[in-house]
Amino acid sequence: MGTTRRTTLVTASATALLAAVTGCGAGTDTSDSGEVVVTCATCQESPTDPFLQYNYEAAQRFNQKFAGDYRIETIENANAGSSDDRLQYYQRLALADDLPDLFQLNSGEIKAMERTGRLHDFAPSLEADGDWAASFYDQAFDALTGPDGQVWAIPQQRDAIGIYYNKELLEAAGFEQFPTTWDEFEDLAVTLKGQGKFAVALDGDWATKLMWANLIGTQPGGAEFLGDSIADLEDWGDDPAVVRATERLRNWHLQGYVNADAFSGDFQNAAAPFLTEEAATVPNGPWFVKTNLTTDAAPGLYEKTGYAPAPGWADGGQGTVVVSGAGWVSGTTDERELEAVDAFVRFMSSQDEVLAQAEATGANPPVRVDAAATDAADLEPLATGLIEQAADLEYAYPHARVHGPAGLDTSWKNLWPAYVKGDLDTDEFLQRLTADSASSAQ
Amino acid sequence: MSVFTRHRPPASAPAPVPEPAGARGADGPVGGRPDGSGPARRRIAARRARPVPGTRIPLGMRGPVAVSLLPGLVLFGTFFLVPFLVLTATAFARWSGLDFAWSGLDNYRQMLADPVFFKALVNTLFYAAASVFVQVPLGVAVGMVLALRPRGWKTLRTIIFVPFVISGAAYALVFSMFYNPRAGLLNNVLGGLGLPGRDWLFDTATARWAVAGTFVFIIGFVVVLVMAEVASIPREVYEAASVDGASTWQQLTRITLPLLRNVIGTAILIRLLVDIGMFDLVFILTAGGPDDATATLALYAYRAYLNGEWGFANAVGSVIIVIGLVLIVTVRRVFRIGERAL
Repeated sequence: MGTTRRTTLVTASATALLAAVTGCGAGTDTSDSGEVVVTCATCQESPTDPFLQYNYEAAQRFNQKFAGDYRIETIENANAGSSDDRLQYYQRLALADDLPDLFQLNSGEIKAMERTGRLHDFAPSLEADGDWAASFYDQAFDALTGPDGQVWAIPQQRDAIGIYYNKELLEAAGFEQFPTTWDEFEDLAVTLKGQGKFAVALDGDWATKLMWANLIGTQPGGAEFLGDSIADLEDWGDDPAVVRATERLRNWHLQGYVNADAFSGDFQNAAAPFLTEEAATVPNGPWFVKTNLTTDAAPGLYEKTGYAPAPGWADGGQGTVVVSGAGWVSGTTDERELEAVDAFVRFMSSQDEVLAQAEATGANPPVRVDAAATDAADLEPLATGLIEQAADLEYAYPHARVHGPAGLDTSWKNLWPAYVKGDLDTDEFLQRLTADSASSAQ
Repeated sequence: MSVFTRHRPPASAPAPVPEPAGARGADGPVGGRPDGSGPARRRIAARRARPVPGTRIPLGMRGPVAVSLLPGLVLFGTFFLVPFLVLTATAFARWSGLDFAWSGLDNYRQMLADPVFFKALVNTLFYAAASVFVQVPLGVAVGMVLALRPRGWKTLRTIIFVPFVISGAAYALVFSMFYNPRAGLLNNVLGGLGLPGRDWLFDTATARWAVAGTFVFIIGFVVVLVMAEVASIPREVYEAASVDGASTWQQLTRITLPLLRNVIGTAILIRLLVDIGMFDLVFILTAGGPDDATATLALYAYRAYLNGEWGFANAVGSVIIVIGLVLIVTVRRVFRIGERAL
């Protein structure tokens, strides 16, 4: 074999190999039977996460319904649940142009992922189908949109996040009903402290910031801060509502109304005192019922648990956090795969599926559902009760995470313990919290 | 018979005959002046410059040898050289993964202007000092005692070594429960003794000490190193010392300890290199808080990475590398690692 022929053969082989390799990542992914296959990174089975487990079961139902046309293929993903690493994981995949066809992100993560330019925009699909778009509650897309009207995600839920309370502990402290003002709440806290109990169980992160949002949001102008000016990254200490809320929350720690281990950032540090009935209240979303309240960890506690909106600074000034939570996003650009993605998100926002999800997880539907169907579905009464009550409350506001910068969680966990223990004053705490949280938004 | 040889089985091979001081270099007997300097050293250098007969690769074998080296070179290049070059280059750039712009020394200027960087540096050095001045000496002391083979020494050695094989993450979770101010063992014991408890991990006054307390007692690796080294010391040395009337304490401090110089230096070096990159323990216990009281350089770099400041994170990484190099050179010199003790 001559040198020229050898060279030609090697070049041709290399070219064929390269073409085969590059071909792996391009074009529509189809099965042997011609189904369009889309990958889902948050549809895996999970014995501990009811949302993932519901997604898995819903994906199986989708596969049955659309057999022959579309099929969801589950990717086992260690970063499927909420974690600090999840955003980085998807950012790396975005840089490699290798995002899954379907996955879920929360509003803060969507804001960060927007910059990669790799997320699919659902706005044209919603515009093309007015009935589908109108089926969602108002503001359901608020935290999921881009600056030019893009819709980066289809919401999976819309929840009111309130405060769980132990009715027996409250009755023992002389309270037949959950307090309706923060002053009453502190009266309750004093009594409970005298009985060796904590008024509220917090964790230094999610639950603590929920209470912070409640204290801010139930003041005039508080909702505007949480929904808007928190994103401006000006010194949050300039806002008197934020200062009052921050100082009041710190005072609860100093007065011993809060569990002593409320700084780790691990929600289990908040759940444990409530489940062991050392703490009378804990703030969290409807999923707390499935993940903690009805588990073997707390037999009989569900029956004596109530769920209430946050007290107010004045009579009649109660409020609650309302969030749309995680949404379905897509990283594919292939036309046929996008058809499958479109079919999937419509399937997931159908009445049957949102009710199935509500039954499985306690999360409330992001779309309007027939009252008769809701009644028939026998949904979790604690969760549905609060979302219905939320419509009549004086205040409704987002969690600080929704519009706050992505660095808020890290900065809060770092600075909050030092502030509570007196190493920082309120001005310095809020100024540094703003600056440190903002560093991720530069 | 010395206490150090009493329980030891007889050596299967005779102990090597010590050679006069300075008569051996790193490559074996070389002759020349006892201090190894002068014309003899020049002759050694000249001898080393000539290829050793039989070590040249025959002409026809160079291709296969090169091919056999290729996998190693590819792995080295992929997993060390390329990342190292990327780190070095991007330390001088604003890089978020999406945007890239050369920025000269800006990352280093930003680092030096940031008080959190200095907190992280001080904390990292604090953890390193805890290893050097507590963990290694404790390990050496326990290793020397266990080398005496007291009753139950094998069980003790196993118990001491077990924490070393537990993952840092699991260890951190155990200690986060141990330090828990509401239900943790430490506060419960203190309460039982009538002493006040506190939030050890989230109080700026105690957080750094509490983190150091989780790893300074993981001495299994040092103990095993020391025991192995003590076992290799020729028993004749102790027998000669016994004949000369040296007490056990004198044998311990005048013979064993100096002969452990190499292994102590190695243990310190390994610990220092672990400590300057310390991440998982701190990340799980405190995430660097409160108010950066426990943050390390590695955690500081990780936060920058989370914030999308990849170039800045790599600049911090380059500082960690430089500190590591300085420590390697310093410890090798101070402990004369590699030079024979006998």
